Amino acid sequence: MRKLVCSVAALALLAGCDGFDGPSKEAIGDGTGTVELAEFPERPLWGDTHLHTDNSFDAFGFGARLGPEDALRFASGEEVTSTTGIAAKLSRPLDFLVIADHAELLGGIRRLYDAPRVMIRDETMRKWYDMMHESPQGSQRAMSEIIAAAAANTLPAGMNNPEANAEAIAGVWTAHLDTLDRFNKPGAFTALAGYEYSLVPGGNNLHRVVVFRDGSEKTKQTIPFGWDGTDEANVSQLWDYMEGYEKATGGSVLAIPHNSNMSDGTMFELTKHDGGPMTAEYARRRAQHEPIVEATQIKGDSESHPFLSPNDEFASFGDVGWELGNLTDPSSKESGMFAGEYLREALKRGLTIEQQTGVNPYQFGMIGSTDSHTALATADEDNFFGKHTGNEPRGDRGNEAQNLGTRKGRFAWNYLAGGYAAVWARANTRAEIFDAMERREVYATTGPRMVVRLFAGFDFAENAFDGDWVRDGYTNGVPMGGSLVDEGKAPRFVVSALKDPEGANLDRVQIVKGWVDASGNTRERVYDIAWSDPANRLMSGGKLPAVGDTVDREKATYENSIGAPELNTVWTDPDYREGQNAFYYVRVLEIPTPRWTLFDAVRFGVELSAESAASSVSQERAYSSPVWLSSPKTGV
Amino acid sequence: MALPSWTREPLVHFLIGGLLLFAFFAWRGQDVDLASRSIDISREQQARIALQFQQTMQRPPTDGELDVLVDQYVREEVLYREALRLGLNNDDAVIRKRMAQKMDYLAASSAETQQPSDATLQAWLAEHPARFAPDSRFSFDQLWFGEKPAAAAARARLEAGDSWQDLGQRIGLPPSLDDASRSDVTARFGSEFVANLEGAARGEWSGPVQSGFGFHLLRLRDAASGPVPPLAGIRGVVENDWRAETMAKRRDEAFRILRDSYHVTLEK
Repeated sequence: MRKLVCSVAALALLAGCDGFDGPSKEAIGDGTGTVELAEFPERPLWGDTHLHTDNSFDAFGFGARLGPEDALRFASGEEVTSTTGIAAKLSRPLDFLVIADHAELLGGIRRLYDAPRVMIRDETMRKWYDMMHESPQGSQRAMSEIIAAAAANTLPAGMNNPEANAEAIAGVWTAHLDTLDRFNKPGAFTALAGYEYSLVPGGNNLHRVVVFRDGSEKTKQTIPFGWDGTDEANVSQLWDYMEGYEKATGGSVLAIPHNSNMSDGTMFELTKHDGGPMTAEYARRRAQHEPIVEATQIKGDSESHPFLSPNDEFASFGDVGWELGNLTDPSSKESGMFAGEYLREALKRGLTIEQQTGVNPYQFGMIGSTDSHTALATADEDNFFGKHTGNEPRGDRGNEAQNLGTRKGRFAWNYLAGGYAAVWARANTRAEIFDAMERREVYATTGPRMVVRLFAGFDFAENAFDGDWVRDGYTNGVPMGGSLVDEGKAPRFVVSALKDPEGANLDRVQIVKGWVDASGNTRERVYDIAWSDPANRLMSGGKLPAVGDTVDREKATYENSIGAPELNTVWTDPDYREGQNAFYYVRVLEIPTPRWTLFDAVRFGVELSAESAASSVSQERAYSSPVWLSSPKTGV
Repeated sequence: MALPSWTREPLVHFLIGGLLLFAFFAWRGQDVDLASRSIDISREQQARIALQFQQTMQRPPTDGELDVLVDQYVREEVLYREALRLGLNNDDAVIRKRMAQKMDYLAASSAETQQPSDATLQAWLAEHPARFAPDSRFSFDQLWFGEKPAAAAARARLEAGDSWQDLGQRIGLPPSLDDASRSDVTARFGSEFVANLEGAARGEWSGPVQSGFGFHLLRLRDAASGPVPPLAGIRGVVENDWRAETMAKRRDEAFRILRDSYHVTLEK
């Protein structure tokens, strides 16, 4: 039996590096030591952590015929031809990409799909490979031959590589990891390994994207962990898997929950997943394994909801349609479920749980991504290639009822064009990007590439921007994602937002604060802290006048004649109370711009439905990761 | 049973099953006995099931877990076979497309494993030098202004001998970058700015030029577009590029040969 297991492991090495001189040594690792690190992160790195290719069963089922290689070419700025034959190119390349194909798919078709024949140079190995694919009988014959060869110590050299004799496994995953290495260029473009764990009991979306820090020498020692399809399955099994991987390889892996907006209240519960009381240990595992959450993507935005934030006039962005139910039943939602679905409320719940258990399970940062199923990581409104191949660009796609997991109540115009993840890393490598995610020094945008900085501390000068404020921020404070210990005085925030150089001007910068009040209730407040044209836009009754609207509905154009290219401020919390645990994050709003539906209407000459036309203009935005303020008693 | 919609579709279950066996049949080139009602789970198969669990969870399954895994395997196997008996693999778009794709793979597989000679790759490199040339790099100084008149006024002061560091309005953009790659400059300043930079004369101030942020005066200190490196240094990259294109070409050629033997009529 032991020999058999060894042999099976050896089989897995069919895809090993026998004679292949493709990726460099730098490209296959985590990038440590390959690129000089900046003292402080200099610019945000842009990426998509949630892209599906034809390796995902549903993407394939919807007709996608572009694979990981096409996805990587496209993300790194090359032009590719979409499945439906349209030339596709990003306005600017991305800096990194996580291809997150469904694990369930990969596991299911691994036995079927062609493994990377390209890697197999040895004739004997290729023969076994082909036998395995010929028939079940052929596979068994191959197994017998391999067992015999292993016993006689006559395995081909390519299978005797000691490194290879680790738990590597053949198939889609291994092929995929090799593809990633071919495109991974430390310092220029990073291809991180990952997949999607698609837990969805009862239709409640509890999906996670799983992302690895490591190069293929470690990631080849595992295979994707998928949902087993049972109602009993739960996320702690994923954490078991992650802990197993980290222990066995010394590597690192994190999970990114997404589409909490379709979880029917189960993504951010006050209890454990089984309804049992939250414990410190459970909260610790959650926070440790899930440091960031995807706040916005094609299937809606999960930052806030008007039901939970009635005083926030911008709370409803990207909620329409998705708020009706869970992933499969768009009529299942009851208003009591919203609190377990939207990120602002989850951050508040985290404070409550921390008060009760001593640990905050929902101390997470925020990113955006696409969840595109076309292998094309598009997030720009004027370049939206659709949720899946069925709605790649063509006239009238925006008006169609769409049935991705739904049968009623949702329409294609409910789709957002998707978001991106901005990562404050010191270099463009796997390790640096992953570590920035771990420390939550990341932010979400709904597509535009605005540059958002946030530093929190107690001693920043009012005129901080006159000096070297970035160095000052890192030296005398914490960046987004960090924590401050309450020192008995109001925290101060250095906030800067710079527009996308190829996008719209900025309307305003806000701080969203959540806290627990003296009677133990969670509260929230949104502060406008910087806005364009302050001489003429004066606060009235606590409300800032709207920035205006330059969108030409007939032409799908806008003018940067309103708004500002940059908004900066040093802000001190005017409502600080000693001993109140709180979080603060920045929300940046652009001026109104056309949505993809309006671009479509002009491009294809189609008429939008009344509902679609009513939401054909929006204010795109960015959400920073929060900074937490904790009293010394609870620790940080 | 609670499953995501697409996995909940009975059709999808049948498709996966059908797909698997259909593929095996395609490889074997002969039919198997669809009516076979005996499922033999060999020791090897059991070991494979156990190993797959172990590679995922980093520990062997318990006896109980193994029983569940084997039960799942049997359930799948039964449903596969019954799906085939019902002919659910016929006239199915997903299976049809998958099979077509496998034919494409077959056509391209010789290119997948072929080891191109240095001469082949050298020729490829000579044919597509732009693909392998490194990114241009720039060293420059810039001043930003919200309005064009302010920029023009500053230009005049520069020419009158004022120190450039004292001019320009504050914005979160670096006043100077050294040896920055074209993609890095584009990410920070936008394409319009980079186009202006590429057209700028070296060593002297120019502008005002426009960017997505407003107006700039800029001084290009140095620009370098590196030569295409020798093949030895980038052999892997060139090989990948050659392989991808060659595979696509083989697929198209193979299809053309097959297509030529078909007569297609389209009813009007």
